Amino acid sequence: MNELAVQFDGVSKGYTHFSLENIHLELPTGSIMGFIGANGAGKSTTIRILMGLVHQDEGSVRVLGHTMPAEQAQAKLEIGFVSEDMRLYGPATLKWHMEFMRPIYPRWDQKYAEELARRFDLKPEQKIKGLSHGQRVKAALLLALARRPRLLVLDEPTTGLDPVARVEVLGELMAALADEERTILFSSHNTLDVEQISDQITFIDRGRIIDSDNKEAFLDRWRRLRLVLPPDVQVPRLPGVVEVGGSGRLPVLTTDRFEPAMVSVCNELGAAVQAVDTMTLEEIFVANVHSRRERLTA
Amino acid sequence: MNYAMVRRLIWKDWYFQRTAILLAFLGGAVSLGVIAFGGRAGFTLGVILVVTIVVMLSAMTVMGNTIEEREKQTLAFVMSLPISYVEYTTSKILGNLLIFVPFWVAVVGGSLALIVVAPPIHGFLAFTVIMAVEILVSTCLMLAVALVSESKSWAIAAMVTGNVALNLVGYLVAHIPGIRRQMWGTAIYWNATATTLVASEIALIALLLGGTFFIQSRKKDFI
Repeated sequence: MNELAVQFDGVSKGYTHFSLENIHLELPTGSIMGFIGANGAGKSTTIRILMGLVHQDEGSVRVLGHTMPAEQAQAKLEIGFVSEDMRLYGPATLKWHMEFMRPIYPRWDQKYAEELARRFDLKPEQKIKGLSHGQRVKAALLLALARRPRLLVLDEPTTGLDPVARVEVLGELMAALADEERTILFSSHNTLDVEQISDQITFIDRGRIIDSDNKEAFLDRWRRLRLVLPPDVQVPRLPGVVEVGGSGRLPVLTTDRFEPAMVSVCNELGAAVQAVDTMTLEEIFVANVHSRRERLTA
Repeated sequence: MNYAMVRRLIWKDWYFQRTAILLAFLGGAVSLGVIAFGGRAGFTLGVILVVTIVVMLSAMTVMGNTIEEREKQTLAFVMSLPISYVEYTTSKILGNLLIFVPFWVAVVGGSLALIVVAPPIHGFLAFTVIMAVEILVSTCLMLAVALVSESKSWAIAAMVTGNVALNLVGYLVAHIPGIRRQMWGTAIYWNATATTLVASEIALIALLLGGTFFIQSRKKDFI
């Protein structure tokens, strides 16, 4: 569990209208990282650098002990990759794809592939062009899982899926997690999906990683404090407040460093704490992005 | 170089082009039959048909194996396999040539055989070889541009350029004194001019393919 499956160290990549800057990312073996960012935040570019498909301008990338992009062929032998913009060959069947990939991967598990086909309700003899979007995603996931990868990289795999297909795909991912040695990087802008399966969360915005921690720590340290201020009492200055909302006498403080002692501090300063609300991952993500963007424009 | 992986990718490309290959072989055989047994009008029609089929197969394989892979987003699937850029490029160049060249050899061989058995057109042998290799140059140009630019528009531009060049080269070669003198004769000939022209074409092919490897190995964004 201590080894790093993925390690980005000071990685940068520049394009004309977008740049990925100074990315530091560590993914321990056996962990499941949810990689959350808005559209265009840099999730796919980061993942493409991880896969060796895009060369970083600066910094180093190591994946499963291999230096990327130089050793991408060796690394990809142990990576299962599914991305939202990946398509299988329309005129070929799922069975053809399985037969095509079987000799490539030494750990290919045909029984598991057939079992997944049954569980996903996929017919191996059916041509890919005849499958729905959800079925195509499941087929790609099947091909990624049946190679028994040490690292599973999923770039927005649930985008465009109907609720039933999404639950099925996420369910299968949860089952795949039973293998403690398998590491998963799951990128999405859907925080609900990420929250369900991840134990590590990383937020990315405008090409920079803005926060990274384990999920429980995120959920524990982010809170909304609803205060009632008597006349002449100022909004208390608390550590880690990233956003002050609400109205003048009824402020709502969002903090990323919540401690239970904050409640008594507020009371001592004359501000009554009406409620301490937990936050969903989506609320945490949005607050995080807003506060960073406000800091940058200030 | 992972040759097993390169072979696998070549087999995949061949599999998806197998219908086009089969139809091209059938069409090529019919065209040669028309040339052989169609009289004077059949000769002209057959030559047009055979050149059209060769050019079509060349365009279909290059577009189908390279540009369509990007357009239909199957390139992400291919590049997720354990291959490097150089292995991908090798598989594309070898794959396209292994699809096209056997057909090209069969058609050119058939055409030369017809020339050899028909004394009135013996003089066309050198011209036919030069133009056949020129078609190979056009195919390699299109393949190189398709791989390097990854753009349908540029690949089409290369295809048009290749076809225009084919007509232009045909016209120029037919007017080179060393070729023109014997072209309409009834004797089989081969001279230093023909050797120079074919050698130049082969050098151009080597330059195009070598340049493609050079550029591909220095690319920083592959998808």
